[in-house]
Amino acid sequence: MLHPFHSFFLVITLLVSSHAYSWWMWTPGDHVDDSTQSMIGQGYHPDQPIPFSHKIHAGDRQIPCQFCHSSARRSTAAGIPASSSCMGCHKFVNTDAEPIKYLKEKYDKNEPIEWTKVHDLPDYVRFSHKVHMQAKGDDGKLLLADSPDEVCMACHGPVKEMGTAEQWAPLQMGWCIGCHNQVKTPAKDGKPAVTYAPVSCNTCHY
Amino acid sequence: MSLEHDNDELKKLEHKPHVFAPEGDFEAPAKDTVPGPYYMAADERMPELEADEPSMQGAKLDSKGKPFPVDRRDFMRLFSASAMFGATACVRRPAETAIPYVKQPIDQVPGVATHYATTCGDCASACGIVVKTREGRPVKLEGADEHPISQGALCAMGQASIQGLYHPERLKGPHIRHGRRLDPANWDETFAQITDQLKGKTNVAIFTGGSTGHSDEFLGEVLEKLGSSKEHLYTWESNGLFSSISKAHELAFGHADLPRLELPLAKVIIGIGSDFLEVGTSPVYHSKGFSLSHSYKNGKKGLFVQLESNYSLTGTNADKRHIIKPGTETTSTLLLVKSLFENAASKGSPAARENIKAVLDKHASSLSSAYADVGVTKAVFDDLADKLLKEPSVVVAGGSSNFDENATLLQLAAIMANQLTGAYGRTLQFEKGWMNSPVKSGDLKRFLENADKFDALIVIESNPAFSSPDSWAVEKALENIPLVISIQSFPNEVDHFAKFVLPNHHYLEAWGDEQSIAGVWSTRQPTVRSTTNSRQAEDILLWILAYMDKSLPYKDYQAYLKEKWRAIYEISGVRHDYDVFFKFVLKRGFTGSLASRTLGDLKELSSYFDSLPKSKSGFVLLSPLDYRLQDGRGAHLPVLQEIGDGLTTVAWDTWLAINPKTMKKLGIKQNQMVEVTSSAGTLKAAAYPLPGLQPDTLVVPRGNGHKDERSTISNNNGIDPLTVYAKKSDPLSGEPVTSLQEVQVTPTKEWYRLAATQKQNDIANRNEIVKKYSLAKAKKIQNKTVDLDTVPDLFPKLEKAAHHWGMSVDLDKCNGCGACMVACSLENNVPQVGRDQILLGRTMHWIRLDRYFYGEIDNPSATFQPVMCQHCNHAPCEAVCPVFATTHDAEGINSMTYNRCVGTRYCANACPYKVRRFNWWTHKWGTMGKRGQDRNPRALNPDVTVRTRGVMEKCSFCVGRLRDAKHFAKEQGRTVNDGEVKTACQQTCPADAISFGNLNDAQSKVSKERKNFRAYLMLGGDPDHGHYGIKTLPNVNYLAQITHDEPATGFGKQQGHGHSNKGH
Repeated sequence: MLHPFHSFFLVITLLVSSHAYSWWMWTPGDHVDDSTQSMIGQGYHPDQPIPFSHKIHAGDRQIPCQFCHSSARRSTAAGIPASSSCMGCHKFVNTDAEPIKYLKEKYDKNEPIEWTKVHDLPDYVRFSHKVHMQAKGDDGKLLLADSPDEVCMACHGPVKEMGTAEQWAPLQMGWCIGCHNQVKTPAKDGKPAVTYAPVSCNTCHY
Repeated sequence: MSLEHDNDELKKLEHKPHVFAPEGDFEAPAKDTVPGPYYMAADERMPELEADEPSMQGAKLDSKGKPFPVDRRDFMRLFSASAMFGATACVRRPAETAIPYVKQPIDQVPGVATHYATTCGDCASACGIVVKTREGRPVKLEGADEHPISQGALCAMGQASIQGLYHPERLKGPHIRHGRRLDPANWDETFAQITDQLKGKTNVAIFTGGSTGHSDEFLGEVLEKLGSSKEHLYTWESNGLFSSISKAHELAFGHADLPRLELPLAKVIIGIGSDFLEVGTSPVYHSKGFSLSHSYKNGKKGLFVQLESNYSLTGTNADKRHIIKPGTETTSTLLLVKSLFENAASKGSPAARENIKAVLDKHASSLSSAYADVGVTKAVFDDLADKLLKEPSVVVAGGSSNFDENATLLQLAAIMANQLTGAYGRTLQFEKGWMNSPVKSGDLKRFLENADKFDALIVIESNPAFSSPDSWAVEKALENIPLVISIQSFPNEVDHFAKFVLPNHHYLEAWGDEQSIAGVWSTRQPTVRSTTNSRQAEDILLWILAYMDKSLPYKDYQAYLKEKWRAIYEISGVRHDYDVFFKFVLKRGFTGSLASRTLGDLKELSSYFDSLPKSKSGFVLLSPLDYRLQDGRGAHLPVLQEIGDGLTTVAWDTWLAINPKTMKKLGIKQNQMVEVTSSAGTLKAAAYPLPGLQPDTLVVPRGNGHKDERSTISNNNGIDPLTVYAKKSDPLSGEPVTSLQEVQVTPTKEWYRLAATQKQNDIANRNEIVKKYSLAKAKKIQNKTVDLDTVPDLFPKLEKAAHHWGMSVDLDKCNGCGACMVACSLENNVPQVGRDQILLGRTMHWIRLDRYFYGEIDNPSATFQPVMCQHCNHAPCEAVCPVFATTHDAEGINSMTYNRCVGTRYCANACPYKVRRFNWWTHKWGTMGKRGQDRNPRALNPDVTVRTRGVMEKCSFCVGRLRDAKHFAKEQGRTVNDGEVKTACQQTCPADAISFGNLNDAQSKVSKERKNFRAYLMLGGDPDHGHYGIKTLPNVNYLAQITHDEPATGFGKQQGHGHSNKGH
C-alpha cells in the first residue's frame, strides 16, 4: 500500500500533468474542430426551464428582437426580458399551454425564471451590445446589416428558425477580430484613421 | 538641430552615434553619488539612524523580524490553485444562469449605471456625493459637481466608505447580550425586551456624533416622548475643532457657529498649527479653495506660511514653515496679533481694537519676552503681519495636533488676528453662509457629569469608549449605566457595555439631511436596500416608541423629514407642488441659499486670557487625528489602512515620529520600539525619523489601536495614543485634551518593522523626477512653450488616431491627501494586501503617492508626486513581454491584457517608473492575513476584470470609463468632448491636480498643459539642453512645482546633464 505521503505526491503529479495536457489541448483563436468544439461552445444548446421558441415569436409572429431584448441598444447586456414582458401578452395569449401556466405561476409567486446562459463570454472579455447595435458607417446606415434584426442575427445566427437559443457562432477572439479588421479605414489625405471597430487589446480586455 | 524629422532624417541620425550614446556615464556608479537636494527618508541623510539590528535589515522579514514562513495555509493556497486549474481547463465552463427581473423597474436597465445624489456621512463636513449603482448596488462614490462643499471632489475617507457598506463584519441583525455573550435576536423580540426594560424609566439619554441636520431635533422629540428632556441629547465629535471654534465665536460674537473659510479669495494664508487640508472642519472644501488660491497661475501664486511643531500634511504645503515649540500656538497667535496691532495698516472697528488692545495690554510684558519661548523672532511676526495686511488674507489656527487646554483661547486669538486683517466678511464668512457646528461644546464632559443619573443610554453612531482619552473613564461610566443600547452601523467598543446591540443602516442605506453651510440643505437618501438586517437608527427609535404606546406621529424617518422639509419648500419660492419639489431636491442632492445675519462688534475678551500659555518642558507627545482613519472610524476599512500615511508612508500601523537629530541624541534607531511614559500611562511604538519635526515633539497619530474584536482589519493593529493622556480639559469649551502631553522617552531593546513604502521606489539619486521653479524664474519664462513629444529616436511614428489620451499632474496643486489612491483602488478592484505583503514590497496600488523631502533635515519642504503608469509611447515593458500581454494601442494607452499574461514579470523589471504590480496571490478581502475570505462580488466594480494570481496589472487610464464615454459620444455621432471623461483619480482629486484628455485636440486642457513651460516628463531629461532622459516618451506629464524661494540648483553630481549632445 502507498504511504499517504507518497500518494499525496502522486496526486500532485497527476494534477500537474493534467494541467500541462490542458495547455497543449487548448488552442486560442478561431481554429475550430471537433476536439475543441465542446470547449468553445459553438452549437451549445442547453435545456431551458421553459421551451421558449424563438421561431414562433421572432419567425412566425415577426416580433422584432428588441421588442423583448430591449436593453440591447442601450446597454452592454442585451438582457433577458423580465417575466412582466412575457405576461404583457400571455395574460391573454395561449394561456392554457403548460409552459405559460408555469410562467404565470412563477410570476404570481414573484419568482424569476432561471434561464441557462447560452452566450457566456469569459469574465475577462468586455462586450457591449449597444455599440454593435448602433454601429453606423459614413453614410449613416447600420454597419453590420440592413435592419436591426439582421444586426442581431449577424452574430446570433438564424434565431428566427431556432427553438430555444443556441450558440451559433464560435465567439472566439479570432472570430471577433475577423469582423473588426474589415471595418477599419486607414488614414488618408491627412485625415486620421477612422476606426469603426478598434482592434487594440483594451477594446475588450480591461 | 531640427527636431522635425522624417525617415530620411532618422537615417541620418543613425550615423550620429553621440545622440544615442553620449560620452561618459549616464549615471555614476553608486559609490560616487553625491546626495542631491531631494531625499525620501531621513536615513538617506543620516545613515546612522538605520537599524543595526540584523532582524530589521533583511528584505524578506515580517514586522517582528522573522522570515516569512511558507506555512500550511500558504501551501494549501498554492496547492488548491493549481488543482483548480488542472480540473477546470479540460471541460466547458460551468453553466451559468441568467436571472431576469420578474417585474422590471422602469428606471433600471441591466448593465447601465443608475446614479443617486446623497450626502456623505463619514464626517461632519457633509460633502454632497453621487453614488453610482449597478443593478441596485452602489459600486463607486464620487463628489457631486454642483454641490457647494464637495464641488465634485471627495476625500480618501469618503471614497472608502463604500467598503464600510459591504463590510463582511457588519452585524447581520439585532443582538441581545446575555452575560459576556451576544446572541442574535429578531427585531420584534428585541423591541419587546427594550420596551420591557424601559418601562417606567424616564432618565433616558441619547449620545450621538452630532448632526447639522434635522436628526438632533428628532432625537430631542424622542427624548421628550420618553419622558426625558432635550437636555439629555449629547452630541460629541472627537475632532475638537468644531467645539473650540464655535465656542470661541460664541464668546466673541454670541453665535456658536464656525466661520466659512473662503480660501479662493485669500492671497495670504497663515496657519498656526492648523490642519485645514487634512482633517480640519471641512477638508474637501478647504482643499478646493486652497488649490485655487495657492497654486501658480499667470505669474501669481498665493502665499501660505505655517507655524507648527508637528509636521502635518497641511504644513508640507506651506511655502514657509516656522517651527515653534509645542504648546506655544496661542502665544504665537497673540504675538501675531501684537504685530498686526502695531502695524499702521491694520483694520478693525474701534470697539474691536479696544478689546484687542485690552488683551495685549494685560500681557504686555510677558508677550514682549515670549519670542524666545516660541522660537520665532519678532521680525518674522512683523513681516507676516505686513504680508497679511497687504492682500486679502486669513489666519487659520488650531488643529487636532495641538488640541490642549488652550484650544479655545487659540481660536479667540485667531479671531482677534482676523479682525485686524479684515478677514471677516471677506475670507471668513460668518455673516453669510457660515458653517454650522454638528455638536454642542463640552458635551462629553456634561455627559460624564450626568452619567450616574441615567436609567438608560442610547448611543447612536458614536464611539466615545475608544475616541476619548482613557483617563476620562468613559468606559466606566458606560459600565455603570443600567441599560445601554448601542445602535451602530459597524460594531464598536460601545457594544461591550450594551445590553442591546442594534445594527444601524450605513449612511448609503439611510435617510437624512445635513446643513453644514447655514441655509444650504444637503439631502441623504437610500441608494440601496439594506444589505444586512439593519434598520435606520431613527426608525428603531420610532419602533421602540410605538412598542411603548408613545408613538410619534410619523410613519418613519423619511416621513418626518418630508414634513420638516415643508419649511424649506415654503421659503424656496418654488411654485410646483411639494412632492415635485421633494423629488427634485433628492435628485439634485441639495437646495437652499446662504443664510445671512448681521454681526455685532467683538465682545470683551481679556477676561479669558488669564495667563499666557507657556511652552511645555521636556518631551511632548502630539496625537493628531490620522486623516485617513480620523478618530478610528476608518480603521476597519482596509483600503484606508493600505494607502499609508502621506508623510511617513507607513501603512497598517501606528508609528512614533521623532525628529531625526533627537533620535540620534537619544540613540534610537529606525524601527526601534520606544517607550513613552506620562503620568497617566505608557505606550510603546516603533520609531520613525520624520525630518522637520520640532526637536522636543513626538507624534503618535490616533485612529488605530483597537484592542477588541471589532474587526479583523483593525484588531490589534497599531497603537492608541490616548492611553497616555492625563485627564485635562479645555476650560472654555470643556473638550478633553487629546494632544500636547508631557512625556518621558525610553528606548527599548525591542524592534518592529514599520511597513513603510517609501524605500520601495528609491529615487537612487536620479534627477528629473521632481522639478521646481522659483516664482521669479517662472514669471520670466512663463510665455515659453515646451515640446515634450519631439525626441530623436528610431521608433516608427504612431498612427494618428482621433484620440491620444494624455494626463497632466500639477505638482504645485497636489497636497498629498491620498484620495486618488483610494478612488483608483475602488474603481479598478485593486486588492489590499496587508502589512506583510507590503513589507515584501508587494503593494498593489495602481497610483502611488511619492513624497520627496527637499532641503535641510531640520525644516525641509516636501513635494508629493502621484505616480501612475506613465503610458510611455516607447514603453520598455512592451518590448520585453514574451507573450504580447502588454501592448500599445492606437490611442496611446499602454494596455494590459490579463488573460494573456503568463507572469514572467519581465515588464515590471523593465519599467523605470516601477508602476507595474504583480498578483502574487488571488487576493482575499482586506488582507492576505488570517481568516481570509473571498472578496464580495457585490462590492466590486463589474466593469473591470478582477485579476487572479500570476497576473501583472497596472493603471489602465481607466479605459473602461473611456470606453463608456466613447460609446456615449458615438451614440450622438460626435467624438468625446474635452472634460467629458475623467479618470477615477482625477475625478476625486480635491486639489484639481490631475487633468486628463485628448492630446490630439490642441484646444484640450491637457494638451495646453503639456505645452506649458512647467511641463516635464518624469526621467525625461532636460529637452531644452538636448538631453532627453530615457526617452520613454510618456503620455503623462508633470507640471513643476513653483516655490517662492529660489530652489537650490544642482542634483548632486550632474550626471548626464548637458553633455549628451556636445557640438550641437
